Amino acid sequence: MANPVTNLRKTAEEFQRMDAKDKRRSITDSILNNALYILMLIFVIYTAIKRPNFLTLGSLANLITQVAAYLPLALGIAGCIVLTGTDLSAGRAVGLTAAVAGVLLQKSDFANKMFQNLPAVNTGWILVTMLIVIAIGAVIGLVNGFFVAKFSLHPFIVTLSTQLITYGIILWFFSLNGNNGQPISGLSAEYKEFVGGTMFRLGNVAIPWYVLYAVILTALMWFIWNKTTFGKNMFAVGSNAEAARVSGVNVFLTTVLVHTLAGAMYGYAGFIEGVRSGSVAASTGLNAECDAIAACVIGGVSFVGGTGKISGIILGVVVLRLIFVALTMLGVDSSSLFIIKGAIILCACALDMRKYLVRK
Amino acid sequence: MAEDSQRQLRGLYRNVKISVKTLDTIIIACILVIVVLLAIDLQNPGFTITFDSKGGTDVAPQNQMYGELLTVPEPPTREGYTFTGWYRDSACYEAWILESDTIQEDMTLYAGWEKNP
Repeated sequence: MANPVTNLRKTAEEFQRMDAKDKRRSITDSILNNALYILMLIFVIYTAIKRPNFLTLGSLANLITQVAAYLPLALGIAGCIVLTGTDLSAGRAVGLTAAVAGVLLQKSDFANKMFQNLPAVNTGWILVTMLIVIAIGAVIGLVNGFFVAKFSLHPFIVTLSTQLITYGIILWFFSLNGNNGQPISGLSAEYKEFVGGTMFRLGNVAIPWYVLYAVILTALMWFIWNKTTFGKNMFAVGSNAEAARVSGVNVFLTTVLVHTLAGAMYGYAGFIEGVRSGSVAASTGLNAECDAIAACVIGGVSFVGGTGKISGIILGVVVLRLIFVALTMLGVDSSSLFIIKGAIILCACALDMRKYLVRK
Repeated sequence: MAEDSQRQLRGLYRNVKISVKTLDTIIIACILVIVVLLAIDLQNPGFTITFDSKGGTDVAPQNQMYGELLTVPEPPTREGYTFTGWYRDSACYEAWILESDTIQEDMTLYAGWEKNP
């Protein structure tokens, strides 16, 4: 596994030794297994020809910022998928935490400020707010994890119910203090600068600070997944919970912690989402989990359980964003985007199963 | 592929009984759907920008490509109010700057009004 060049040479040698029929099947296999990537490549080339400004630094910067915004959610959900589960509450968790962060960090002189007696917005208060929303996200994840682990309920059911409950809380939160469901806007300049301020410029497009945060977060998740006992336990539980239990892994604690960690990620995603979209509405974060799950499946985090890599998740998010950036550049109607998304997910799942069945 | 060489799927797919051939069909069908949809959509490019004048005189919608500026629309008028510009949201917080904002998607712009004293 260590040396990709040796690997490739070995595969080439094996390929030489096959007879004609096996050769044909091997080619078909590799085309089908990489169908989504091939499709994407053709599509990107097509877009680049049709719209020359697709291949500019500005468009690369746009892609990087989008990936940085969607990555935390995918990194969180990937843990749940490794445990053969999923998390449907992610989008609403982002909505709730974005709303809380927005309210805590509104401009002090904003006319529609929801709560009047808040501390002045400075770096310290911004960090405190970030910790508060990460904690709120983690609590949602903790509830998910507890019910999944304690009662072996299917994550679909548990996270569907937390999704609805969280939405109820969001609606209730938006009607507090006579706000009557208006979007939360008037975010303070310090908060906007902290998250969305210019780190450096690529071409004419600014790269915001949250790209740096996403890099740090990815490194942290890579460390947790690959270098800690917790990470190893997570993969053990995902591939066979019973075997993991027998060999002394605390399945209950691992499951709860994976969901809590995912929740903390949603909290962080909520923290940057408000600045990204300028204001927070009750619908913020709606269906965000679909993109994250799709990215994970495209990136090879298998529903079979116990397999997945951080690099795969990054690749999945990049592929998905690249497709959407290209589609918007080509001016494709947003309504068919949903059909395309659905077809991509179904295709990725079929590929996932195919890889598992064909592997010897 | 022979039946006995097939493995039982695990995890979320543990109850799925499917052959590789069927999976291949699904994969190819999905890709065809994506390609056909793209082909249909690419016949009809361009974004529609509609204007909600919120009680003022009507403004005609525009069709523009990605990354272009809007053609400056005729400002609407309304009895007893002064027009303050176009906004991305109906609450009129986020202004649309005609000189620099470029079109990214289908959208509706809302007119901002200030009551005359």
